[in-house]
Amino acid sequence: MSDIKFLTHEIGSLAKPPWLTKSALGRELDESDIEHARTWGEKVGVEGHRELVESLQRGGADLEEIARWSSRYCVRLQESAGVEVIWDGEQLRSEMYAWAIEHAKGFEPRGTVRSFDNKYYSKSAAVGPVGLAAPYHNDEFSFLQSVAKHQLKIPVTGAYTLAVWSYDEHHTPKEGRLGAGYGRSQEIEARRELTLDTARNLIRPNLEALIDLGATWIQIDEPGASTEEDELDLFVESFNVSVEDLDCMFSTHLCFSDYDLFFPAIEGMGGCRQYCVGFANYDRTELGTSGADRPGYEVISKFRDLPYDPILGLGVLDIHTDFIEPSELVRDRILYAVEVFGDPARIQVCPDCGLRTRSWDVAYEKLQAMVEGTRLAEEALNHAHAST
Amino acid sequence: MRRTSWPCRVVAELQAFIPGLYPRSEELVQATRDLDRGRTTQEAVDSQVERDRAAFVSGQQEAGLDLLADGMLSWQDHFRALVESADGLETGALTRFLDTNTFYRAPKASTAVPKLGAPLDERYVFPLDGPRLVTLPSPFALSHGTGVTPKTMAEGVLKPAIEALDAELVVLAEPFLAREEGAGLDGLAEALESLGGGPRVAVWFTFGDARRLLEQGAADLPVEGIGVDFYGTHLTDVPEDFPKLLLAGVVDARSSLLEEPRELAAFAQRLGERAERIALVPNGDLQYVSERIAREKLARLGNARTATTEAAA
Repeated sequence: MSDIKFLTHEIGSLAKPPWLTKSALGRELDESDIEHARTWGEKVGVEGHRELVESLQRGGADLEEIARWSSRYCVRLQESAGVEVIWDGEQLRSEMYAWAIEHAKGFEPRGTVRSFDNKYYSKSAAVGPVGLAAPYHNDEFSFLQSVAKHQLKIPVTGAYTLAVWSYDEHHTPKEGRLGAGYGRSQEIEARRELTLDTARNLIRPNLEALIDLGATWIQIDEPGASTEEDELDLFVESFNVSVEDLDCMFSTHLCFSDYDLFFPAIEGMGGCRQYCVGFANYDRTELGTSGADRPGYEVISKFRDLPYDPILGLGVLDIHTDFIEPSELVRDRILYAVEVFGDPARIQVCPDCGLRTRSWDVAYEKLQAMVEGTRLAEEALNHAHAST
Repeated sequence: MRRTSWPCRVVAELQAFIPGLYPRSEELVQATRDLDRGRTTQEAVDSQVERDRAAFVSGQQEAGLDLLADGMLSWQDHFRALVESADGLETGALTRFLDTNTFYRAPKASTAVPKLGAPLDERYVFPLDGPRLVTLPSPFALSHGTGVTPKTMAEGVLKPAIEALDAELVVLAEPFLAREEGAGLDGLAEALESLGGGPRVAVWFTFGDARRLLEQGAADLPVEGIGVDFYGTHLTDVPEDFPKLLLAGVVDARSSLLEEPRELAAFAQRLGERAERIALVPNGDLQYVSERIAREKLARLGNARTATTEAAA
């Protein structure tokens, strides 16, 4: 029997460095910002980073060029941490929702809304038929192909999340809802029109453009998927409409939800080859490989039992805290998942979600712990197999 | 002294006000982002909070609203201030708030009987000139998922918090009950019994169809007022001769579409056939729209109140 090996991969965003965000806001950089570029360039091995440092010291650097540097840094950060399938953590995009909407037809901005605490997102309204203004990940993908040493996975925000995170002024009646018992069925019908319009006319042509460029793994991000329990069939339908008959490996990412809600709806989502799901946020931090030790992972058996045998991208890093998961904790989470699945080939390892709310220091340490914990799990399993 | 209600031929008493979490301005959004990233100071954020609050209060006054609110601009969610002020409560997992893209730290109980350690300070309940309201979570909402009963939460945490307030009305936001199949009012009713004796209290059933709760006798809860979301609830679900102040959720806090004041006024008049005392309010926290949109909705709420009284005069 060949050695057991788990693929590690990223999920999404990383924080933007101060030298990028300040430059974007037109603010002056101070010495600590320059030092950040210097030390991280050395730490993760960004080729030619001195060119960036000198450019930042001189001032007046082109913002798009600074963003490309930031992209290089994040690629190397993940590669240096040992992550095997990587991306640039959204350095060349404004944000997962805003970037897509900015490149779509049929939406208008409606300001900033809080997500939680001091975290916010820009929110737009659908005001007309949805369309693709121009493929919006092509430049990024071409650039990353030229930079990355590891395999690439490209996250693309899914149709359902774009729809459910938007106001809908196009399909919602402007008058007559007040006190009229405007029912849930009417809301769902309006959402259905917007979601499928988005899947067909925005997401799918954008995916086709990426595949034409050589993308082999695209992650459809759907953090909003379980927002409405009675719209899960719509989420599944929009995923299928987006990817049907396209020649690429498609996965999806789900986070911070009651995952039980997804069942049985996603039994019909056969085009999805991997579910990357955040669990660590709900788990204990004590070591152990029993079900009682791993309450955050209780639901994974339902993913195991899906009829089309998808891989589970096991979230092992809580992205909402600075707590650095000990590698032994990562190991135990993986071992528990393998025990439940009974097939290590159906487990891969990733953070719960994008790490953009953490500093690079914390994100780097967490990713290193994830990689180290994965190796520990492999050792434990291979040792056990060798002993039997 | 400002009037706290207006006579109206159809509606015997008509008010308008804005309970709940009000959105932060783009400037405050940026300031708080900067604070998290170590690019500004708490003092700078506090100054922007003051500017936001002053603008919100001024907006309410210009709109002629009857009770002023401070907008809860320093609150991170409905629970955090109480959780941090209480012994035996902790902030728990990040949890989705209903079916929105907004999250809160779910309260977690570390003892069977949590107690408020200190009243909410000015950071959370800012002093205002004139008749005011304060919004707190309902005992059911605060106890939700903690394993502590609403009554215990009311007695140990909410009652001392309410008793320390100087407010004409305390609005208890209840987002869960209208959406939880099978949830009854008994636990809430028992908890509310223990909150008497202080300022007047209203329960605000936000973001959901309140029909089932009204059928179960929400109008008989031991409070001054009951809030209903009329984007989720049919007008005819309000019992005739409604005996309490009806907080009528007529501004949709989850839609960027702007309400037409004349439609709101016409609706208020129809509602007046069922309730003598009405307060026009949003159907939930206005923080679900941006500050720019909330400001316009606030103005239109005031216009609707004025239009209702003028139409009835």
